[in-house]
Amino acid sequence: MDFTLSAEQQMIRDLCRDFAENEIKPHAEEMDRTSAFPYAIIRKMGNLGLLGLPFPEEYGGAGADFLSYCLALEEIGRGDAAVGITMEAHTSLGATPFHLFGSEAQKQRYLTKLATGEQLWAFGLTEPGAGSDSAGTETHAELHDGTWRINGAKNFITNAGTEMTGGVTITAVTGRQADGHKEITNLIVPQGTPGYSIGNPYHKMGWRASDTRPLAFEDCEVPVENMLGARGEGFRQFMHILDLGRVAIAALSVGLAQACYDEALAYSRERRQFGKPIAAFQAIQFKLADMAMEVELARLMYYKAGWLHMQGQPFGKEASMAKLFASETAKRAADQAVQIHGGYGFMDEYPVSRYWRNVKVHEIGEGTSEVQRMLIAKQL
Amino acid sequence: MNIVVCMKETPSTTAEKSFSPDMRLERRKEDAIPNPFDEYAIEEGLRQQEKHAGSTVTILCMGPATATDTVRKALAMGGDRGVLVSDDALAGSDAISTAHVLAAALKKIGFDLVIFGNAAADAYGGIVPSATAELLGAPLLSYASKLDVDGSTATIERQADIGYNTVAAPMPTLVSVVKAINEPRYPSMKGIMASKKKPLDTFALADLGIDPATVGAAGAREKALSAEKVSTQRKGEIFIGNEGAADRVVAFLVEQKVL
Repeated sequence: MDFTLSAEQQMIRDLCRDFAENEIKPHAEEMDRTSAFPYAIIRKMGNLGLLGLPFPEEYGGAGADFLSYCLALEEIGRGDAAVGITMEAHTSLGATPFHLFGSEAQKQRYLTKLATGEQLWAFGLTEPGAGSDSAGTETHAELHDGTWRINGAKNFITNAGTEMTGGVTITAVTGRQADGHKEITNLIVPQGTPGYSIGNPYHKMGWRASDTRPLAFEDCEVPVENMLGARGEGFRQFMHILDLGRVAIAALSVGLAQACYDEALAYSRERRQFGKPIAAFQAIQFKLADMAMEVELARLMYYKAGWLHMQGQPFGKEASMAKLFASETAKRAADQAVQIHGGYGFMDEYPVSRYWRNVKVHEIGEGTSEVQRMLIAKQL
Repeated sequence: MNIVVCMKETPSTTAEKSFSPDMRLERRKEDAIPNPFDEYAIEEGLRQQEKHAGSTVTILCMGPATATDTVRKALAMGGDRGVLVSDDALAGSDAISTAHVLAAALKKIGFDLVIFGNAAADAYGGIVPSATAELLGAPLLSYASKLDVDGSTATIERQADIGYNTVAAPMPTLVSVVKAINEPRYPSMKGIMASKKKPLDTFALADLGIDPATVGAAGAREKALSAEKVSTQRKGEIFIGNEGAADRVVAFLVEQKVL
């Protein structure tokens, strides 16, 4: 067993660490306060190739492996979770479906712009009455004379409404399967398609600078070639996309947990009470030891899930374990980081207060902790 | 134009430093990075290459065999090829030995313009550029904050206390640069992925015709005697009370030339 990262993996990680430290972190407080989408940062990331890491060079990607992409996400997420989720949703949910399931023409038309960061793309799965429970999907589409007519609504869709967004790929019910289950097909809806309206951004507890919106489809028509892969393949496609996305969210959560630990460690060495730094007290040392241990364990789990995927082995269970453990680790780390900061941790001037608000959604997005436990239990 | 950038592998500035009993810095591979000062030299080499069509940039490094990874890190920023001079006999080299090796390697590679960072972040001796120039019998334009190459002449600006000096030298020439000269780029993903495919030659001392007894610990003319951590204790003076405290603060600020 060899835990050594390759030279390229180390370089990608180090680049993202430097970029996060110099280009993202100094703006994190302001981004959170204003909820303004970080166009300048996202464009710089696109220019460096960070928005197309795991895609082949022939489509404008960097040709890096999946673990490199996760390492990059960890470091970007360590700088700011809102920038991290923008990168993750664009890459894992927006662009990956084109890479895995798109026709050559779709890859040329869409993926090339997404991998270079010229455009962002969104994936619309969640609905007012359906998320991980895809049987509740109500958005539907009928095929008439070579045109899909879509009606329905999506919500909590990341990257859907930025000025860089090229469009959204949505799940829609397109009929009934022989066994009576809903037939689900993924359809590509470019920005500006008549009948497709994008709602105002939500006001959120965390990830505030990321773009999250409700979408509505009212007799929205797209040509039949906007189907991603074959008809009825939507369920299988998004299950696979979500498995991959969970490893990515795990990496992002490890980044956030690491940021909590970094702040807590530095503060505990600086802050003096009863005549010594609070890091000299065992009560604080034990918190820090637990944080360091859990961050390392969470990191190892996403490494393993990513490695299994790269070996072509089943990785769904490990992806759920990684996502669940990393997000809950980040939650505990944020909680303890605030606790170590005492009253200052409750103030917006200290980043840990922002981390504490950001972390909650890590236990919810791309499958709640409860859904992860269901998925793990099913595979026991 | 044949541009060569000299780069040293140094431990990351945040890495814990330790020394062997004979006062050599213990280098751990996982902490190794291109000397941060040399990033400005690499950036300047790349900018000169962009300005002068048909130029090539070679990254030249003397270091342990494992420094190939560090040379590739530099090549991820850009450049055409790397050259690593590595030999067990080089361990413990002082600045003059390093200059001898670099001069021999530069003669072998050939050059029109050689760019150095003005010092290395580990030992901070800062004499390798001038010693190398001396050994090559070539001019050195040191501490450049701006560099222009025009035909067969290189011209730099050197920051002085008031204003700057403009200094020129005929090519081929050596230049050492300061941080003010540019803002080093981040390596791009494409650069990182391309770096492993770029040619990287390794020379041993025999390839350069250097006698092992004249370099490394055997040939060292300088010896590190001790190393101590900089005390992080801040030197503060506290003036208490209403009686004259303000005057003493003002006097202190005047003394520091703040007021």
